[in-house]
Amino acid sequence: MSWLLVACGPQRLPSGLVYCSEGNPESFNPQLVTSGTTIDATSHQIYSRLVDYDTQSGKLVPALATSWAMSDDGLSYRFTLRENVQFQHSKRFTPTRPFNADDVLFSFKRIIDTHHPYHFVSRTGYPFFQSIGFSEQVKGIEKINDHEVVFYLTRKDASFLSNLATDFAVILSDEYAQQQLALGHPENVDHFAIGTGPFTLVQYAKNEYIRYHRHPDFWGEPAKIDMLVFDITPKSTVRLAKLIAGDCSVSALPKAGELPVIKQHEELNIESQPGLNVAFWAFNTQKPPLDDVRVRRALAYAVDKQNILRAVYQNTAIEATGVLPPASWAYANNKGLVDYNPQKARDLLKEAGIKNLSIDIWAMPVARAYNPNALKTAELIQSDLANVGVKVNIVSYDWSVFSQRLSRDDYDSVLIGWNADNSDPDNFFTPLLSCAAMQSNNNRSRWCNPEFDAILDSAREVSDQGERKVIYQQAEAFLAEQVPMLSLAHAKRVALTRSDIKDMQLTPFGGISFAHTSQAQEEAN
Amino acid sequence: MFKYLLRRLNLFLATSLVMVGVLFYATGLFPVDRTHALTGIHTPTASQLVQIEQDYKLDKNQAWQFIAYLQQRLSGNLGISVTSHQEVAEELSAVLPASFELAVMAAIIAICFGVPLGVLASQSQHKLTQNTIMAITLTGYSVPVFWLGLYLSLWFGVDLGWLPISGQINLLYEIKPVTGFMLVDTLLSESEYGMSAFKDALLHIILPATTLAVLPFTVVVRSTRSAMMNVMNQTFIRAAEARGMHTSTIILRHALPNALIPVLKHLGLMLGSFASYAIVVEMIFSWPGVGSWLVSGIYQRDYTVIQGGILAVALLIIFLSILIEVLHTVFNPLSRKDLYATS
Repeated sequence: MSWLLVACGPQRLPSGLVYCSEGNPESFNPQLVTSGTTIDATSHQIYSRLVDYDTQSGKLVPALATSWAMSDDGLSYRFTLRENVQFQHSKRFTPTRPFNADDVLFSFKRIIDTHHPYHFVSRTGYPFFQSIGFSEQVKGIEKINDHEVVFYLTRKDASFLSNLATDFAVILSDEYAQQQLALGHPENVDHFAIGTGPFTLVQYAKNEYIRYHRHPDFWGEPAKIDMLVFDITPKSTVRLAKLIAGDCSVSALPKAGELPVIKQHEELNIESQPGLNVAFWAFNTQKPPLDDVRVRRALAYAVDKQNILRAVYQNTAIEATGVLPPASWAYANNKGLVDYNPQKARDLLKEAGIKNLSIDIWAMPVARAYNPNALKTAELIQSDLANVGVKVNIVSYDWSVFSQRLSRDDYDSVLIGWNADNSDPDNFFTPLLSCAAMQSNNNRSRWCNPEFDAILDSAREVSDQGERKVIYQQAEAFLAEQVPMLSLAHAKRVALTRSDIKDMQLTPFGGISFAHTSQAQEEAN
Repeated sequence: MFKYLLRRLNLFLATSLVMVGVLFYATGLFPVDRTHALTGIHTPTASQLVQIEQDYKLDKNQAWQFIAYLQQRLSGNLGISVTSHQEVAEELSAVLPASFELAVMAAIIAICFGVPLGVLASQSQHKLTQNTIMAITLTGYSVPVFWLGLYLSLWFGVDLGWLPISGQINLLYEIKPVTGFMLVDTLLSESEYGMSAFKDALLHIILPATTLAVLPFTVVVRSTRSAMMNVMNQTFIRAAEARGMHTSTIILRHALPNALIPVLKHLGLMLGSFASYAIVVEMIFSWPGVGSWLVSGIYQRDYTVIQGGILAVALLIIFLSILIEVLHTVFNPLSRKDLYATS
């Protein structure tokens, strides 16, 4: 026993930060996914983009491109690239040259060119880029010299630069890709990632952890922590326990009910920030009887959103009146477009001639920023719908299975949401509800309406913010009319930190970043 | 003796064969394509499909398929994990040592505390001491392990803040796996943080090992006690007493070695429930062992992981049960009696 007591002496801990994350990433290349878990683990840690958003002002700032210019007709963009940017090293790959135009060409040609050797290496496609119709939008990419590239567009698009600044538009290494292709393992590029970001991926153990080291030659200000570890902890209560026990310093996505517990612990802080997100209930508009707009409208009238806000979010969210959250510049309060009215719901169902309706609700198994507890939300909706005589069956699987099965189209409705990747309002409409998004399975309502697409196109062609806002409000009204989905809430982004963590900044949109986070030095007990 | 060992080996092989047969049958029941259930490849390319058909003889009848399946599994080909695309065998060998480490620690705790307490209970003249010990062990025996695990982590981890309650080590320590046993690896580690890492790993293992040890501990106490009481009434003990030997000598040298033989047998009988307890404990304390790996595989519908996990756990239980039986025979001359008679 005395031996044990000796073991309790002062302990030294290597410098670094442990982040309790909520799940396994599906890949280490954000181009291939839309899931926030993967974005968190890759985008801002391993990679950089051509342009970035300033997290405070929401304006575009230079990243791997130092400057850019749009041609007068708005159909081509010329980027000047940063020089002496070093890629990361790994066991598999030692870069021989710094970043140049070839890497930009590789990263985007892979997505738009179906003949590119890497195009079909991704089995999941490029969901974000497909959902915004990227390959139709970009006619070609040309290398002028090693440090200049030009993108040619097929039509004017005010959201083009915003899309390049999203977490998905990362820059990969062309040299690494060619090397792995020659070795016959092109899929390694997406598993054992190499990028130009502040951290190098060292090791990934499924269900356990992801380990990163600081990238010593990072082009920007080097990260303040030597090591970053994602401790994969799917259960929210376990994340909280680990945070209290000090096994992790930052923890993702607490359930609203846990916040009072955190307030009892002085060493814990709650970081929160109004988020650019929306939680919604999407109806599969191709499956009867949900193809009938009256039925969809009836279901929308039957849901008491205030009740969900109270029970699921515990007032850490605000009620959604449309798709856009208040933090977006195109937001307007459309209260009253779809309100809670069970009587109206019953009437509409009767009018549609539907009796004994029974539908499935698929509820996400993981907590996301926009909905901390989709299962509970589903249960509340279940009881609301029982009031109007609709029977609900709740379906849930583990996340990887859930997202796989969701891409088959045999579900009735699904509770899911969207976290914006940039501050452009287009990001809420095109990736979610356009016809292009239907091909990439991101359009959970499976709703393709040419009229609606035309509204979105016209909004992208003008660049004046006031004019665009008017058009996006038209789009909102159109959605309230057609109800392909019911927006429920806009949640705050919340993360928990121990008090020795400094500069942990949450952004309203996009993935989490640890590039500027630092930790006060202390002796662990 | 040789014949006896041969018979046990035969038993091991036959039981394992039946078990693999059940697993083979189950691959046909998974709600996915057979090729997917066998290999874990979700959408195989044409050349992969040909390879799979060849490997598993899918064009022949069930008997051939079973033999092919057996060949693949025995050669260590457990397929790839559906979620991580890594070899299941590789993942399995990464998680097995953690489970062993936990089980060994729990066994040490159970035996080191259980045997002396059992002896004490059998020798104590006070009814009160005896009853207290029996009451404690009965309580320990009946407490559900998930409840115990949760309460221990609530008390010692969250309320008191003394012990870490999940994982094997603070992840900031970067320990290169040599043996796979975290406690050993931290000691072998050449990093300047090696010693701190060892202490940290030791603190991490206390709660899960204690939780897991409770059940075998109570069994050890109770079976030691009854065996000791039985042995102490035997004539050879009375003879030793008559010769005027000291009580402690009698217990340690003559009674205890005889009493431990039935304890061994009891532990062997419990292996199955011990394994399922270990899975629950691993889940509660997020211990990165076979149990939590298997359970997350079930949640993720990772059919190859499920098969690999069941195969590994079942084989281990069969092997250990037979090993314990053999040990029991080796140490216990009495059980060899019928052996001599039949052979």
